[in-house]
Amino acid sequence: MTEQSLSLEVSMPTRRHRFSWSARFSFALVVLIVAVAVAGPWVTPYHPNAIDLLARLQPPSAAHWLGTDHLGRDILSRLIAGAGLSLGSVAVTMSLILGAGILIGGTAGTLGGRADQIIMRITDIFLIFPTLVLALFLIGMLGTGLTNVVVAIALSHWAWYARIVRGIVLSLKHREYVLASRLAGTSQLGVFLKHLLPGTASQLLVLATLDIGHIMLHVSGLSFVGLGVAPPTAEWGVMLKDAQPFIWTNPILMVWPGLALFITVMAFNLAGDALRDRLDPRLDTGRSH
Amino acid sequence: MTFLRFWLIAISLALTAQGTAAAPARLTFSWLTNVGPLNPHLYAPDQIFAVAMVYEPLVKYQADGTFAPWLAESWDISEDGRIYTFRLRQSVTFSNGEPFDAAAVVANFNAILAERPRHAWLELTKRITAIEALDERTVRMTLDESYYPTLAELSLSRPFRFAAPSQFRNGGTADGLVAPIGTGPWILRSTRLGESDLFVRNERYWGERPALDEIEVKVIIDPNARAVAMEAGVLDLIFGSEGPIFPEVFARFKTMPTFTAKVSSPVETRFLTINANRGPTRDIAVRKAINHAVNKDLIVATVLAGTQVRADTLFAPTVPYADAGLKPYGFDPALARKMLDDGGWRLGDDGVRRKAGEVLTLDLCFIGPDAVAKTLAEIIHAQLADIGIQVNLIGEEESSVYARHRDGRFGMIFNRTWGAPYDPQGFLSATRFPTHADYQSQEGLPDKDQIRAAIGAVLRTTDENERRTLYREILTRLHDAAVHLPLTYATSMIVSKPRFGDIPTAPLASEIPFERIRPEAR
Amino acid sequence: MLGFILRRLLLLIPMLLGASIIVFLVLRLAPSDPAMDYLRLSYVPPSPEALEHARTMLGLDRPLITQYFDWLWRAVQLDFGRSYATGRPVLPDLMHFLPATLQLAGVALVVTLGISMPLGMWAARHSNRWPDHVVRLVAFFGVSMPNFWLGFLLVLFFSIQLGWLPPMGRGGWQYMVMPAIAVSLMSLSINARLLRASMLEAAGNRHVAYARLRGLSERTVERSHVLRNALLPIITATGMHVGELIGGTLIIETIFGWPGVGRYAISAVLNRDFPVIQCFTMSMVVIFVVCNLVVDIVYAWADPRIRLSAGGSND
Repeated sequence: MTEQSLSLEVSMPTRRHRFSWSARFSFALVVLIVAVAVAGPWVTPYHPNAIDLLARLQPPSAAHWLGTDHLGRDILSRLIAGAGLSLGSVAVTMSLILGAGILIGGTAGTLGGRADQIIMRITDIFLIFPTLVLALFLIGMLGTGLTNVVVAIALSHWAWYARIVRGIVLSLKHREYVLASRLAGTSQLGVFLKHLLPGTASQLLVLATLDIGHIMLHVSGLSFVGLGVAPPTAEWGVMLKDAQPFIWTNPILMVWPGLALFITVMAFNLAGDALRDRLDPRLDTGRSH
Repeated sequence: MTFLRFWLIAISLALTAQGTAAAPARLTFSWLTNVGPLNPHLYAPDQIFAVAMVYEPLVKYQADGTFAPWLAESWDISEDGRIYTFRLRQSVTFSNGEPFDAAAVVANFNAILAERPRHAWLELTKRITAIEALDERTVRMTLDESYYPTLAELSLSRPFRFAAPSQFRNGGTADGLVAPIGTGPWILRSTRLGESDLFVRNERYWGERPALDEIEVKVIIDPNARAVAMEAGVLDLIFGSEGPIFPEVFARFKTMPTFTAKVSSPVETRFLTINANRGPTRDIAVRKAINHAVNKDLIVATVLAGTQVRADTLFAPTVPYADAGLKPYGFDPALARKMLDDGGWRLGDDGVRRKAGEVLTLDLCFIGPDAVAKTLAEIIHAQLADIGIQVNLIGEEESSVYARHRDGRFGMIFNRTWGAPYDPQGFLSATRFPTHADYQSQEGLPDKDQIRAAIGAVLRTTDENERRTLYREILTRLHDAAVHLPLTYATSMIVSKPRFGDIPTAPLASEIPFERIRPEAR
Repeated sequence: MLGFILRRLLLLIPMLLGASIIVFLVLRLAPSDPAMDYLRLSYVPPSPEALEHARTMLGLDRPLITQYFDWLWRAVQLDFGRSYATGRPVLPDLMHFLPATLQLAGVALVVTLGISMPLGMWAARHSNRWPDHVVRLVAFFGVSMPNFWLGFLLVLFFSIQLGWLPPMGRGGWQYMVMPAIAVSLMSLSINARLLRASMLEAAGNRHVAYARLRGLSERTVERSHVLRNALLPIITATGMHVGELIGGTLIIETIFGWPGVGRYAISAVLNRDFPVIQCFTMSMVVIFVVCNLVVDIVYAWADPRIRLSAGGSND
């Protein structure tokens, strides 16, 4: 997972004052996708689950811009509804990952010493699972369904963030202003909140953005193999799965949800690249997989 | 490792190619798992069609509902219906040469009866009190009371079929067989886990010699992969009522000249059991409204591509004793809405009905990986939403769904009758036990005791007229209580290469008569 | 070197123990009762007596710590118990499906390295000219492409439209082409970008400039100075790709009807067939850890500083 973070190119750190055209394009795309997802219920031309068996498998038309699926449901409406679901679940997953990462990594880094040792050993154990394997394992324990998929993905990714947060905190801890604040009697929690946490913010923002696409692929991948959302909920991975029987007769059914997923992931990757170039051109965490 | 594998595969491919050239009379079929170790007296993981290839019954069920002599050449039934005397066919041997005689029959029955709890779903195992060999070719079976479906249950694919006693372990079959040796036309030659099973012709077979030399059964789980394999020429035959391929794909095969595609006559009913003992469906008005709200013709014509037939009643009228003159609940959403209105279920602003604070919502449970069931569930979800019923779709693995059958945790659940020769008696009999979804539902019916008493009586009676009357009563009560939503009468889909001729079907839907397949002369 | 390998091997033991604790303990913390799941999967009605019997049989009535060590002791002897669903011993069944998965993941790894290296080098050599742009564009699409969608697109194009490749199943090399590409494209793209970047960085180093000044040919400079340094991050990344390739394989298998461990594992997950899930998870962890160990060893061989200094810190 999180391979994107490996892709950090060590481009010459030319600090630009403006974002490049591709960066601005990606931000616009992200904003557009988020807007569509949020506005979803109001802008879908049809109810995403409304079935019309007499109008099934229709090609794109004025009434159905992207055509209809095997139950006569409007594909565009389902894509839009799916956007809300994908982004929503990714947002929750990311919040859980960041929350756990900051809490655990921050604690370890701030406290240091024995506590740090113990926490990091536990974190290391989580890191020796391939993320998808750990997610599968956790879903096996928790049961299927979107909530459990979100929890499983969060649980299989937090350790990476904990390690990064700890690393950043350790590097900041001995800066003079932090030490000064500590000497001035600020509590450890205070120091963390006031000095250390803000120091991690920009790097975490970059990483999180770069990882959003990745998490999204995880969620829809697990839905695709039947572990995620319950029908008839529109989800891109499930839509792809539903399209599978029609790969000969109506291959176009497979194109739309995949394209939606691809464009969204691409938009977030681009945005993450742009943020990285801007905020932290030499960020290289060396996280594994 | 990879390199080695590559060569192994390459060599095996080369060998397969040669083998095909040398032995043209091989038919390649596919199934979603390996056929299993094939023990006729156990169940999972053995596949019924394969059990029936190797093991045979005393009497054979016929398409017209009668029973033909098979391993038993003839039989007598005593006046009171309690004593059956079978005369065994002469010159039948097991495929290892061992004689099939009265001792073998008794040994097999004893092995089955030693495990009665395992077979409790089958009434006959509870009725048999004694089984004796009168001489080398005569067997007498005694029942504690008359049981009219006795021959039907003896004809089933399991458990009353016969394995060579020399293959028993610890004097029985519960611990497995040394090797699957039966009297049938085929011998299981080899099994490669996750890949294929190979059957060869039993050269000692007593009956007509099969035209094919070998049947290869490839393991293909995915319906799409199966269709692809058929189209690529890897398979010769697709056969099954369990959705071996998707209906759309079947329709496509039908248009292709290089394949023969047909459906069998209906083999069983697919329906939903509606739980009369849980949630809003305790109200008969809700159950009837559900029956009026689902447009089956549309489902059959569209997503099922005509591969199944609309069902109006629990059993097709062609099933023995099932022509009870029941009036179908026709598709009429307006009537359904009116019934709910009259029943006090008022439509809320969210489009869902409520009555005295109870929301009209129910769980529809289905086997998640089954794409067709999922599609049907989604349609029913939408059509019931139209009349103000909120359905929650719960798709799970098979075992979890059956757990719900057993403990009643469902509002509606996918169900099916058992096909010939179980229908109607075997199916109805099973609904008297808590492990059946229908039992769970019937618990909510005021006349459940009458229904169960009538089912008990119909199995005992020896009077044809009384039997007919009782069936009419049972089926009418169930129909009027609307505890089922009959969807379709399912058929087997059969796709084959034309050179294998017209593929015959067996009266038992779960069996595939490979021995009667006659490839066209070459 | 041997000492380094031994140290790393020893370090694996506590890690694997930790993983085994998670694999065992999370199961017991799960909301459902394994005895109930056992009964459900063996088609036995869950009467109180049956539950009691199942608990005793599965050893659930004993203290947790005893259960854990008992399970661990057997797992070390490669006995992961029997599947609740099929009643068959788990490990032999898993081992039956595993080779196909490892074969696909292995080929995907070869594809990843075999394609990304030349691409990355080509791009770096012509940086900011058209080959570079092409590679960056391909890589850019590659990192955003959902592998299961790519699988479908490949089937659609090469099997259905062109009829060149078999769409499903396992057989000769031609069955391998599409699944391997679908599994590896993302790692491949990332690797190509990474190699390009690190080669450009290495090329800017002082000792490279010095080598050029000494009059060495471009080729020699590239091979002996640039590439050697640029390969280090690639080696590290390879270990990381292994995890991703295994995960990708599990999903891609269902599209190509590849008879690997993916479907076996997913149906066990759907079934909550705990012995299978545990065995599957532990096997994957062991494979992953061993692959990373190999990567670490290669890295240490390529960069002696590691061997001499850290000697086994996991970071």
